Amino acid sequence: MSLELNNLTKRFGGNTAVDDINLTVPSGSMYGFLGGNGAGKTTTFRMILGLLEQTEGSITYENQTINYNVTNRIGYLPEERGLHPKLKVEEQIKYLGELKGMNKNDISDKLDHWLERFEVPENRNKRIEKLSKGNQQKIQLIASIIHQPELIILDEPFSGLDPVNVEILKKAVKELNREGATIIFSTHRMEHVEEMCEELCILNHGQQVVSGNIDQIKSDFGQKEIIIEGDHDVAFLKDMPGVIDMKQVRSKTTLKISEEQYAEQIYNEITSLGYFKRFQVKEPSLNDIFIAKVGRQYEQV
Amino acid sequence: MNKFKTTFLQTYISKVRAKSFIISTLIVVLLIFLAANVDRIISLFDSSEEIATIEVDGGEAAVTQVETLFEAAETDMDVVPHEGGEAAGDTAVLSIENTDPMTFNISAENEIPEAQMTQIDTALGEYQRMTNIQELDITPEEAEQLGQTPEVSYDIAATADEAGEDAAGESETPELNPLNSIIFYVTVIIMFFIIINYASQIGSEIAMEKSSRVIEMIVSSVHPITHLMAKISAMISVSITQLLVFIIAVVIAIQMFDFNNLISEFGLESNDLTLRLAIYSLLYLILGLVLYLAISALLGSFVSRMEDLQQALMPVTMLSLFGFYIGIFNTFSGENMLVVITSYIPPFTPFVMPLRAMHETTGQLVLLTGVLIMIVTIILVVMLASSIYRNSVLSTDTGIMKNLRRIRKE
Repeated sequence: MSLELNNLTKRFGGNTAVDDINLTVPSGSMYGFLGGNGAGKTTTFRMILGLLEQTEGSITYENQTINYNVTNRIGYLPEERGLHPKLKVEEQIKYLGELKGMNKNDISDKLDHWLERFEVPENRNKRIEKLSKGNQQKIQLIASIIHQPELIILDEPFSGLDPVNVEILKKAVKELNREGATIIFSTHRMEHVEEMCEELCILNHGQQVVSGNIDQIKSDFGQKEIIIEGDHDVAFLKDMPGVIDMKQVRSKTTLKISEEQYAEQIYNEITSLGYFKRFQVKEPSLNDIFIAKVGRQYEQV
Repeated sequence: MNKFKTTFLQTYISKVRAKSFIISTLIVVLLIFLAANVDRIISLFDSSEEIATIEVDGGEAAVTQVETLFEAAETDMDVVPHEGGEAAGDTAVLSIENTDPMTFNISAENEIPEAQMTQIDTALGEYQRMTNIQELDITPEEAEQLGQTPEVSYDIAATADEAGEDAAGESETPELNPLNSIIFYVTVIIMFFIIINYASQIGSEIAMEKSSRVIEMIVSSVHPITHLMAKISAMISVSITQLLVFIIAVVIAIQMFDFNNLISEFGLESNDLTLRLAIYSLLYLILGLVLYLAISALLGSFVSRMEDLQQALMPVTMLSLFGFYIGIFNTFSGENMLVVITSYIPPFTPFVMPLRAMHETTGQLVLLTGVLIMIVTIILVVMLASSIYRNSVLSTDTGIMKNLRRIRKE
C-alpha cells in the first residue's frame, strides 16, 4: 500500500533531469519533496502520474504501474497554475470533477463545502479570469482534491500565497492527511517540510541528496548543535574533541559536534565554570544536513 | 468512454451556447430566407410594368407582319393598329421609319421589363431580316444559305486515345444547369465559411488549454488522445449542427414560400445530375469539414501561446482559399487539367470534386475515389495529430520547428 520509485531516471536529450531516484512513500504519510528550481521535482511528479515516460526505472502504486485506470484515485495540483479563463468556477470544477468520475450532484455539494472552507463562497458563479491569483489557486486546489483522492500530489501548493492563505491551505492539507490520504508535496521552503512532513526527499540537480523519515534522517546524521548562553569565556571549547564548528555572538555560543556523546563532556566542562542561562542540545536543521551532503548552502529561490 | 463524453459535452455545449455561434447561424438563416424571396425582393425595387398591348403606327401590312412575328417570338403582347393618342398604362406605341437601316421607336409610359425588351428586340430583328429579303428579292432558301455558319470539328489523335474521362471534357464547354451551379456554389461557399470559422475555433480551444496550463490537470485525469478526439469530435458536431440548422432553414423556406416564380424566373429546374450532385456535395462538405478541422487540431497542437495561433493556422487558410478559388473559377470552364489533377489532391478534393460531379463525363468511380482519398487522409491526419498532441501537450516551446525538434529528441 505505497508508492515506490525504483532507479527512476529521466533524460531530455543529453540533459539528465532526474538521476536514479529510489524512494518509498508509505501509505497515509505526508511526504515532502524539497529542492530548488530545476531540482527535478516537477519532472518526478509528471513521471509518477504517467504524463512523462521515464528513461529508466519503474514506478508502482500498490504494486501496479500507474495508468489511466487508477487516475480517478489520484489528485494532482500542477506547479504551473491554470484553469479555463472563460469558464465559471462552478463549470470548471464540474468539468474537472466529472473527468475524475464524479457525478454532478456530488460535485456541487463538495464544491459548497470547500468554497466555505477556503472562505471564498462568493466566487462560485464568477468567471475564473475575474478571480485574483490567490483565489484561482484555491479553486485549482479544490479541483485537485474534490474527488477525495487517496493519493494527492501537490506541486508547490503554497507558492505565491499570502501568509494567511498559506495557513488556511496548510490546515486543509493536514486534515486531508488525517482523513487517510497519502500526500506528496513539493516545496522549496524547508520550514514547510519541517513543520508538516514525517518523510522527505531532498533533490539537488536531479539527484537524491537524502530521503526517508525526517527524525531518522536527523538521528542518522549524527551531528548535533549545542547552544550555550552565559557570561563566562568558553572560547576553549573549540579545541574539545568532537567539536566541528563554533560560532560566538555576544553571550551566545553555538557549537556543532559530530556525535551526541561529546555533549556530556562539554556540559561537564562549562558547569565547572559557574552559572549558565542555557545549555541545549538540538537536532540538526535540514539546512545543516543539506550543507553537509551537498557541500554548499541550500538555494532558496 | 465516459471521459470522452465529458469533454465532448463540455466543448459542444459551451460552443453551441456561444454568442458567435448563435449570431453567425442567425445571419446565414436570414440570408437563406432572403434568397428564397429574391424574386419578390427584386420586384419591390422594379418599377417597370409589363406591356400588354402594342400599337403599331404604320400600314395594315406592317401591323399584320409585326403581329405574326410577335406571335412567333411567343410574346404575350397583343398587336393592334395605332389610332392616335399617347401611349398610356400597359400600352406602348411602335412607330416604324422605313429608312436604311430601319429605325423603330417605342414609346411607353413606364419602364419596360428587361425580358420584354429582349423579346421585342428579337421580333423586330426578324422584321428587319424579312424586309431585307423582300427588298433584295431573294428566296427564303437563298436567305438561309447566307446565314449559314460552317461546322468545324477537331479530330486530334492524342486526346482520342486517352482513356475516358478528361478527353471528352476538354474540347467543349458544357452547358451548366443553373440549379446545379447554385448547389455547387452554396456548397463551396458554406464549406469555406465553416472551415475558416471552425479552424480558428478548434485551434484556439487546443492552444488555450495549453497556454492557460489547465491541460496538465486535464491530462492527469484523461488520456491526451481521448481528450483530443473528444475535442475534434465536439467541434465537428458543432459545425454539423450549424449545417443542419441551415438545411432545416432551407426546407422551411421551401415549405413556406412559393418557389414557382423563382424557378421560372431563373430557370431553376433540376436535371438528372442534380440528385447525384446534391448527395456528393453534402458528402464532400462533411468530409472537407472533418479534414480541415483535423488539420487545424494538428496545427493547434504545436502552439502553446495564443499569439502564435494565427500564424500556425496559416496553412489552413491558404489551402482552403486555393481550393475555394479552383472550384469557383473553373465552374464554367468544364473539366480542365487543373480541375482533374486538383480533384485528387486531398486538401482541394472537397472543393473540386463537387464541381466534377456537375459534369456528365465524370464517372461514379472518380467521385468514389475522391471519397476514399478523403477518408484515408483524414485517418492519417488524425493519427499524426494524436501523436504530436501527446508529445507536445506539456511543452511550452513555441513554434512548429522547435516542437518537432523536441519531439524527435524525446
